[in-house]
Amino acid sequence: MSEVALRISNVGMRFGGLWALSEVSFDVERGSVLGLIGPNGSGKTTLMNVISGVYKPTAGEVTYGGKRIADVATHDVCHLGIARTFQIVKPFASLSVRENVAVGAMYGRYGAKRSTRASFERAQELLEVVGLARVAERPASDLTIPDRKRLEVAKALALDPDVLLLDEVMAGLNATEVEEALDLLRSVNARGVTLIVVEHLMKAIVSISTSIVVLAEGRKIAQGAPADVLGSPQVIEAYLGSRWVKRQEQLAVIEAERIEAARLQPPEAGA
Amino acid sequence: MNPATLKRIGLGGITGNPIAFAVVLALMALLLAIPLTHNGYIELVFRNILMYAAMAYGWNLIGGYTGYVSFGNVAFFGIGAYCSAILATHGVDNLLLYVLLAMAVSAVFAAIVGFPVLRLKGHYFAIATLGVALAVTDIIANLDALGGTGGLALHQVDEAHFSIYYYAMWLVALGSMLGTYFIARSKLGYAFVAIRENEDAAAVLGISATRYKIVAWTIGAMMAGAAGAVFAPANGFIDPSITFAIDSNVFPIAMTILGGIGTVAGPFIGALLLAGANELLQRFFVKAHTLFFGAMIVLIVLLLPRGLVWLFGLRGGARAWLKSLSVYKA
Ligand SMILES: Nc1ncnc2c1ncn2[C@@H]1O[C@H](COP(=O)(O)OP(=O)(O)O)[C@@H](O)[C@H]1O
Ligand SMILES: [Mg+2]
Repeated sequence: MSEVALRISNVGMRFGGLWALSEVSFDVERGSVLGLIGPNGSGKTTLMNVISGVYKPTAGEVTYGGKRIADVATHDVCHLGIARTFQIVKPFASLSVRENVAVGAMYGRYGAKRSTRASFERAQELLEVVGLARVAERPASDLTIPDRKRLEVAKALALDPDVLLLDEVMAGLNATEVEEALDLLRSVNARGVTLIVVEHLMKAIVSISTSIVVLAEGRKIAQGAPADVLGSPQVIEAYLGSRWVKRQEQLAVIEAERIEAARLQPPEAGA
Repeated sequence: MNPATLKRIGLGGITGNPIAFAVVLALMALLLAIPLTHNGYIELVFRNILMYAAMAYGWNLIGGYTGYVSFGNVAFFGIGAYCSAILATHGVDNLLLYVLLAMAVSAVFAAIVGFPVLRLKGHYFAIATLGVALAVTDIIANLDALGGTGGLALHQVDEAHFSIYYYAMWLVALGSMLGTYFIARSKLGYAFVAIRENEDAAAVLGISATRYKIVAWTIGAMMAGAAGAVFAPANGFIDPSITFAIDSNVFPIAMTILGGIGTVAGPFIGALLLAGANELLQRFFVKAHTLFFGAMIVLIVLLLPRGLVWLFGLRGGARAWLKSLSVYKA
């Protein structure tokens, strides 16, 4: 009994002469965790921007609960229950960490029903959840990069979302911190929040995703269960293309040189 | 002034440094005693300081808190002044009514003009607001019903009760200051600052930049309008060149920046020092005072990029101060 939360149909996004996304379609089931992967520049962040209403797609549409996101003002998308983080973090630099999160609680989905004071209390709870309570009073501009990522997550959670888009929130975290982040996301998901997770760390993606969508050069090249998708040679080639294929080429060159060198060696050993 | 300058404000919370605010409240209390000097000149100087302070508070909401530099706030001051003049020519002689009408008309005008103007960003916004100020000046200068360029005279209270204008201006300034304090601490203040710091991030958190810019600009318009409403009868005469003087446009901005933008104490401190300095310079350097005045503004901006209020929160003495200069330049 799977219910579709988000439907992405034939989405295309053009920047000047570049189609950052073309003909991307997939559904996201309510309560699921969708891993969105692809090499740098494949259009993951652009898709996040389209889903969160920051960009209007050039073609196609994203619908949520039957509503076209493009018809909703950007500042009302969170009121539908969709929240997102920014890969390039955007803290309110002069506000304290707690104030940053409180802004989300004040103006997000249930913000109208929350007093200023209740918003600050909610913010404090969330800071404890993401592990930022220790720096609650500090200006956001003082935070380290990993803490800024945590702040992005706390701000998004303050919107009380049903769907949460996470754009590389684990970049820069160490192994233990990644585990903590995964635990946090699992517990958020366990409360019924649908997650769309963009992450480069394969281990993290595989361990948390119920299904995976792979983008390459703006197109969807694979979709399915983590094990199936990652085993597909097409994905290995496309996704790891830049590194993998290059490495294969380098290995081939080294091998050729070795053979050549061997060939040019005086065959004394064999003599 | 570029937006990056406006963003670098870590002055101790959304209302700014609490000690600075306490000092300003104490100074306001002292200013209540000014009419007791029975010196018309001193009273005039301080009434002007209070007037500029109210206008600076009005500018601070949109320019300081919300980060949108407006050159149009003088329009609301003028509209307020003309509201008083119109009521006065119809025989109404009630300062409270003047102020209430001025606030209402300024707010309505600001909200209507705000819809198109406040959709703009950055330099376009600044230019459009300047356009609003120039247009209002031109319209009033060409309306015979409002005296055109010839202006309008207002009936004044007699000598013995003249300080009523001073007290009225004091109340307008106090109202603007306390209004700023409570707005800044409310949800509104956080929407304003979120827009200033990052409009995209604010939008994703549910904040409509256009809506809250209009709110900031409209509340600021009411402050400027109220100041104009008291200025007109206190001055006894208004015309477009007095009412829409370049000083009335630029001083409140300079004062807010010098005092500390996006703080509750800043506009008052800036008004006190700048209007005071301007007055003194005018007395001692009859010809060159604008030169000194300009040089002083440049110096303070260079040495105290975050405004005077910031000094109240400075820890670490000269080294911290020097560091702040390098941070500013980076
Ligand atoms: N606002 C924009 N203007 C122009 N080009 C853009 C913009 N945003 C993204 N792009 C381009 O779209 C492509 C996809 O970028 P992005 O979605 O950020 O990829 P990813 O997040 O997968 O690394 C890149 O080539 C990028 O340069
Ligand atoms: Mg990206």
